[in-house]
Amino acid sequence: MPGESPPSGLLDFAAAVAAAATEEAGSAPVPERHLLTFMLEREEFGIPITQVREVIRVPELTRVPQAPAHVRGVANLRGRILAVVELRARLGLAAAEVSPRSRIVVVDIRGRVLGLLVDAVSQVTKVPETAVAPPPEEVRTAEADYVTAVVRWQSRMIILLDLEKALAPTESPSSQVDR
Amino acid sequence: MTDETNPFGELVEEYVLECLPLAEQVADAFVAVERCWREGEDASALLTAIAGPLHTIKGNSAMMGLAAMRDTAHALEDACGVLRHDAESPDPAAGALLAAGGSLLVELVRRARDNPEADEALEFVERVRQWLARGASPALETQPERRRTERRGTASSAGQADDRSASVVRVDFRRLDAMLEILGEGLIQQAALTESVRGLTRRIGPADQVSRLDQAVVALEKTLKRLESTLMETRLLPLSTVVSRFPRLVRDTAEAEGKRVRLLLSGGETPLDKAVLDRLSEPVLHLLTNAIVHGIESPGERRAVGKSDEGTVRLTAAPEAGRVVIRVSDDGRGLDEQAIRRKGESLGRDGRSESGLALRDLIFLPGLSTAPQVSALAGRGVGLDVVAGAIHALGGTIDVETAPGAGTSFTLSLPVTLAIVRSLIVEVDQERYALPLAHVAETVRAEPEAIRQINHRGVAAWRGGLIHVADGGDVLETRQARPAGRRFYVVMAAAGRRRGLLVDRLVGHQDVVVKSLDPELGRPVLVSGTTILGDGRVACILDAVRLLEGGRRAG
Repeated sequence: MPGESPPSGLLDFAAAVAAAATEEAGSAPVPERHLLTFMLEREEFGIPITQVREVIRVPELTRVPQAPAHVRGVANLRGRILAVVELRARLGLAAAEVSPRSRIVVVDIRGRVLGLLVDAVSQVTKVPETAVAPPPEEVRTAEADYVTAVVRWQSRMIILLDLEKALAPTESPSSQVDR
Repeated sequence: MTDETNPFGELVEEYVLECLPLAEQVADAFVAVERCWREGEDASALLTAIAGPLHTIKGNSAMMGLAAMRDTAHALEDACGVLRHDAESPDPAAGALLAAGGSLLVELVRRARDNPEADEALEFVERVRQWLARGASPALETQPERRRTERRGTASSAGQADDRSASVVRVDFRRLDAMLEILGEGLIQQAALTESVRGLTRRIGPADQVSRLDQAVVALEKTLKRLESTLMETRLLPLSTVVSRFPRLVRDTAEAEGKRVRLLLSGGETPLDKAVLDRLSEPVLHLLTNAIVHGIESPGERRAVGKSDEGTVRLTAAPEAGRVVIRVSDDGRGLDEQAIRRKGESLGRDGRSESGLALRDLIFLPGLSTAPQVSALAGRGVGLDVVAGAIHALGGTIDVETAPGAGTSFTLSLPVTLAIVRSLIVEVDQERYALPLAHVAETVRAEPEAIRQINHRGVAAWRGGLIHVADGGDVLETRQARPAGRRFYVVMAAAGRRRGLLVDRLVGHQDVVVKSLDPELGRPVLVSGTTILGDGRVACILDAVRLLEGGRRAG
């Protein structure tokens, strides 16, 4: 079981450090980024491969009463209980039916192990750092601060996600027993 | 876990493990000594009994270079040495001095890892020295001789301890947790095996080899059950491991409040899983503190109403039908119902029309507890919502009874263990849930005519009364357009409340291994944990107490 989620202040700090590191990497002669890319709706999203533990087919999911809306359920991952998050809900997209192409991307974000339900997984992609650009200002709203960059490469457009921001623990009030 | 700044990292842990119980034993004995003297009894036996532990603490502390503990233990030894000769007519200051020293010693040993500064210890040693000088007892001169006899005493008592502990091994509790985790996996695999064998039997009938397989699986199940019960027993510790420090804390609280309080403990031998014990200590201590601070009156007040100066707080524990019931009661002034009701009304909870039941509901309300007016006016209800929350989190229940002028009694009912819960597995809208059997009173086939609607709520006759029968899909928010036939209802019962829950299927009984909730799941009120069933599916373990509370509030 992952421990307590770190306080959001810490997360912000960590994200800032990570962002600073990324900028430095941009100027250094590190040419490529390794991304796992996946589809949601018709868009391609990418996350650093270092955050990915494995990709699995969608197992039987158990619904948890009163869990936050973005939690699709829990699954048995080799004897360990995996919380599966509907990434669509977190990105403001409508929920989708599980299809044969649906996958769960098991990610490890600083010890938080989570399953992300996605429509389909593309392969691991290496993109040159030069193809990475900041997102247009208009896209980067306060709510959508998890879009860190956009990769335009070989006629693809990959939206890079900051999972720590996209999956920041929400303060959704636990539902009441009454009614 | 070695601490880089402390080369003795692990040794200090060993030291604390060994010395803390001894220090607590010493401190408890000093509290008892103080009481003996106050009541004019002879305390020499008590003083003799603690010489051994005290000496061991002194020796171990010296070995570890922990000067504060060594000096405190040494000073206490000196004081005891004098007092043992003089045990029947002690100086009244002596009791307080010893009790203070005992508390200090426990505190120092508890903080041994930080090698605490010796200031407090120096101060205490100085106090003892002054007291000894004032006593100017001839015993001072006979100290060397006393030391020798004492050492002899220690050697013999240590010898006895060795005999007893020869076959005892000290194990890190995390290992027991790991073993339980592995056993849990074994239980899940066994359940899966059982299910496949059953499927096989259905497919190919009672062939010879299949029935042999079946027997083997049944035997495996029995063996695992035995392993489970042995492991669970290993995890059990007597309640006294937690409550033994309470007399001292009660004494300190009472002193700070200017009250006289006697704490009566019983049932300390009652066994509980360490995981439960660890989380029980705070809430119980909270109740004890409440009883002293708010329940017990000052000696003057007590005299005025014809009670003895000294108040009594009782802490009793006893196993009861697979659970443990703990009661904290006092003979104080009782709850001020009027004030609690007034406060309840101000919070929008009208309690006027109801009696004792409503009071019980009000006193555990969060708003009620934090309001300073109530604690000033009525005195009670400080942080009781926190206590209730902690007890509920343990799968327990809490109840209160009070009589004006005669006292208050809190009753806690707790599961013996948290790790494995015997459960009824039910199915509602294709989802499976585990209901702890401790709270299942009965399962009933739901005949269509048996459940009537009163004010849009299902009601059924049960054991000569009427109970509310809720739809599982409604409660668990899975209700579908065309619900499968709700063919059964499960009558849940806890703390005098009953409620039926309509379900589609009764899947069976299973000992489920509780896996805690992933923080990602928020804090769903109705779910106390998750578990993996025999078929590998995950099921939520429902919190029976919360289910019943929901029914009560809604109804």
